[in-house]
Amino acid sequence: MKRHFLTLGILIGLVALLVVSVEIADVRLLTRIAINLCIMLVLVLGLQVFMGNSGILSFAHIGFMGVGAYTSSMLTIPLQMRGMALPDLYPVFAELLVSPYLAILLGGLVAAGVAAAVSFPLMRLSDAAAVITSFALLVVLHTIMQHWSEVTNGPRTLFGIPKATTLFLAAAVAAVAIVAALAFKESRFGILLRATRDDEVAAAALGANIPKIRWIAFIISALFAGIGGALWGHFVTSFAPKAFYLKETFVVLGMLVIGGPRTVTGAVLGVFIVTVVFESLRALEGAINQAQIFSEQVVGVTEIALSLAMIAVLVFRPGGLLATREAGDMILRRSENKGTK
Amino acid sequence: MIGVSDLSAGYGAIRAVRGVTLELGEGELVTVLGANGAGKSSLMLTIAGALKPTSGRVSFDGRDVTSASPERMVRLGLSMVPETRDVFPDLTVAENLRLGAYIRRKEVDAVQADLEKMYEMFPRLKERQHQAGGTLSGGEQQMLVIARAMMSAPKALLLDEPSLGLSPTLVDQIFQMIVELKDQGLSILLVEQNATKALQIADRAYVLRLGEIAAEGSASEIAASSNLHSLYLGG
Amino acid sequence: MTGFIQFIIDFLSLGGAYALMALGLVIVYGILKLVNFAYGELIMVAGYTLFLVGGTGMPWIIMAIVAIAMSVLMGIATDYVAFRPVRAKSVTAVLITSFAFSTLLQNGALLFISPRPRNIPLPEIFTKTVEIAGVVTPVRNLLTIATAVISLSLFTWLMRRSVIGIAMRAAATNFTMARMLGVPANLIITSAFAISGLLAGIVSMFWLGRIGAVVPGIGLEPLLIAFIATVIGGMRSLLGAVVGGFLLAFIDTGLNYTLPQDLLKFRDAFTFSLVILILLWRPEGLMKGPASGQRT
Repeated sequence: MKRHFLTLGILIGLVALLVVSVEIADVRLLTRIAINLCIMLVLVLGLQVFMGNSGILSFAHIGFMGVGAYTSSMLTIPLQMRGMALPDLYPVFAELLVSPYLAILLGGLVAAGVAAAVSFPLMRLSDAAAVITSFALLVVLHTIMQHWSEVTNGPRTLFGIPKATTLFLAAAVAAVAIVAALAFKESRFGILLRATRDDEVAAAALGANIPKIRWIAFIISALFAGIGGALWGHFVTSFAPKAFYLKETFVVLGMLVIGGPRTVTGAVLGVFIVTVVFESLRALEGAINQAQIFSEQVVGVTEIALSLAMIAVLVFRPGGLLATREAGDMILRRSENKGTK
Repeated sequence: MIGVSDLSAGYGAIRAVRGVTLELGEGELVTVLGANGAGKSSLMLTIAGALKPTSGRVSFDGRDVTSASPERMVRLGLSMVPETRDVFPDLTVAENLRLGAYIRRKEVDAVQADLEKMYEMFPRLKERQHQAGGTLSGGEQQMLVIARAMMSAPKALLLDEPSLGLSPTLVDQIFQMIVELKDQGLSILLVEQNATKALQIADRAYVLRLGEIAAEGSASEIAASSNLHSLYLGG
Repeated sequence: MTGFIQFIIDFLSLGGAYALMALGLVIVYGILKLVNFAYGELIMVAGYTLFLVGGTGMPWIIMAIVAIAMSVLMGIATDYVAFRPVRAKSVTAVLITSFAFSTLLQNGALLFISPRPRNIPLPEIFTKTVEIAGVVTPVRNLLTIATAVISLSLFTWLMRRSVIGIAMRAAATNFTMARMLGVPANLIITSAFAISGLLAGIVSMFWLGRIGAVVPGIGLEPLLIAFIATVIGGMRSLLGAVVGGFLLAFIDTGLNYTLPQDLLKFRDAFTFSLVILILLWRPEGLMKGPASGQRT
């Protein structure tokens, strides 16, 4: 038990440290990066809840982010703007205005609901089939977002979302996410699910209803994604369906894989490391384009670098940088050794 | 023919084979006995190249083959029939056998001749030559995998528990066949749980216990040894 | 009646394309039990090759052969870059490395060629139409059907009759045992990737022919098609891939014909829902594969 509190302390402490330093620095760019980082924490931890414990890769995660973002937006765009932003919105929602905080929560719940409705058949599939089908689910969610103009304004940008996401809100939600992810991992559900990851037959013999457990983890993971998506929507204040597709999936996946999917610490670490590297590369790319070193704009370098990094991590440290142990475990182990020796 | 010297191998943290030294001379039939989990199959897999040893050496026909791949071992003349029988279930009997001769696939006539020989030795296989391997009975599958192993014209054969799950009559038939193969000049390393039958046909024997050699000697010596029971039950 | 014939032609030509796409994916999955996320990029590579050789004035068929050859090479390269280094580590690792490789290739095209669509040369015959029993249809559709039939027949012959085909089928069931019979593991795997590239290359000629241009993300749709077709067909069966491909084409074509105009844009969502229903009924896919295959 002590090690869990230690892990939580370290991870939440890291987030708190981030918030404090950024507040002191008071540079708008840094604040923006920090808010993004906290939102990424929510998203990646959501993915960790499902993928880390079940061992199954899910590509649909970002799709649920979109569900959360659009749900929350639909309910919070100020009434005066709603006619312009979503001209065809169904009458029942056209006049419905909700506080952003409630909307963010609803975004998560709706995402979880969609996940619950759609995903149960996926949970009985073999690993490879489940992954592939989750990929297809992402595409379908994206298609729906692109064409359901009444709710999403089609492939066009949706604007007018109130800016409700402050650094404190994002950090607070991230902290809650850290606690929730660790709580799930160490709960009876989480342990049972991890058992299925390692040996399906043995776990079933222990009475684990594997599809059901996976399903529950998937729903929780979608809840995180929906909340993260809604947070993000209230941060960027305008977005389009293409924000919830392969590129973002790749980044979220990359963060989790590089940090290590099996642990909450790994997820958190992955977000921090990749954010730092990503933003540096982005700045570099910007500087190169600014200085016009090449005749054309340089684009895609960050993704290429991230791809190579992912491949490298998987070749040399397949479990991610932090393969098996949470932060608390590692520290306690070391101090135990010191004590007994 | 086969020389194993201080060989160790395992699966991650599990050390299945611990410092085993044994020999199979040319034309000999040597049996490796031991209880379940004693490491017999792991030993065979290591010799055949399917499991990488952590230390020690394996030599075959005078060559050091410690780190050889399974494909190389077959080309050098060693064939293995694993415990799991591993018939290819949706390939026909004929296709299974043809695949056994993969390394000789260019010698079309010789392969055809050997195929006829196998059909003569195992008439049941000839009857079922166009049937899918998965539809054969346990005994027929055992015959198929032995015949398939022979198709590569090996000098030595590793047999892992050929009698597993077979009725006593079938077991006798299989063992009869093994003796015939030996008479044809093959060197055979036979892993068996059915110690009595194995010792009846073997020249020499080793007893494996928890990954180590617990006893070795001529078949009659081992058969007479009163320790056999305790060696089995203890392992 | 003409509607029916139109439907049949559309269904068969789409089905042929889908079946080849699915087959290219399954042949690697069947042997390695690993999913190749960079599969769609084989079509992208063929497309960009056509674009790059488009100005040379060679006869189109030569350009097509070059493009298909590039696809084969890229298939083999995928093995060396994304699979071999991590094959022994874990199934998830390979999924991710091939996904990363796919992103790498797409962004490479983005960076070194262009994010905008690039026109590709098409043979004259693709622009012609022909009339059959009162139905006017592009010659291309008929060529697709013919090519699919020929390719599938050759492929079946290869798998059933040639030694390498038998060896590949055996490796797909039990790789270790195949190796213990002397079947060279690396040759089998490289052959599988090469065949995968060949099938993707052939299909891409027709797929690109329909669109007329290539973009970095062009491989996504074929990838998805191959994915879904294999999942509903049953992941370990070559026949399943073909059946899955035709079934998916049937669903897509059927929906094209039956959905009301304003729902047509959601066609993929409907297809997917139907696929989910199929999976609910048969989680392992429609066709039974070979009895338990083990991973390498």
